[in-house]
Amino acid sequence: MNAFQIAATVLIAALAPLLVAASLRRPIDGLVAVETAGAVTTLALVCLSVGLGQSFLFTVAVIAAVASWIGGLVFARFLGRWI
Amino acid sequence: MHAADLAVDILLALGVGAELLCVAGVLVMRTTFDRLHYAAAATTVPALLVLAAALVREHVTSGGLEAIAAVGLLFLLNPALVIATARAARRIEEAGET
Repeated sequence: MNAFQIAATVLIAALAPLLVAASLRRPIDGLVAVETAGAVTTLALVCLSVGLGQSFLFTVAVIAAVASWIGGLVFARFLGRWI
Repeated sequence: MHAADLAVDILLALGVGAELLCVAGVLVMRTTFDRLHYAAAATTVPALLVLAAALVREHVTSGGLEAIAAVGLLFLLNPALVIATARAARRIEEAGET
């Protein structure tokens, strides 16, 4: 295991408490946890891509960054308006 | 151990450590705004440290450029998301007070 694979493993492990918090807390606090999870996922994908030498994972990281941003904006808009 | 390997190890350790600190902040802080502060920080220094480590290993190849794109998007777009979330949180708090 190289340094990037270890870093990716640690970052993926850090997702677990965020997802627990997202499911148990108030919706707005859950949204903050989900936004953080999106950033952690993107960095984990960058680390995995370098660590495994799979260049397609870089593209997945770019898509994850954009998708998590759009999803977060939609949820923020929804929560601010209807809850 | 080469200097590049040492640099990668140090940058990754600092980046992942700072990211874990931000995750801990999101989990431990009491108010939504305090949590947002840490959520915003997660896409700044830690992300740039991990990007620097990736670039030391990948150089400016197509993979390196895509890593720059991914972290650059995080860094540039996330402030808008934080502001939208903070406005939603403020609306919810105001609705709760009235």
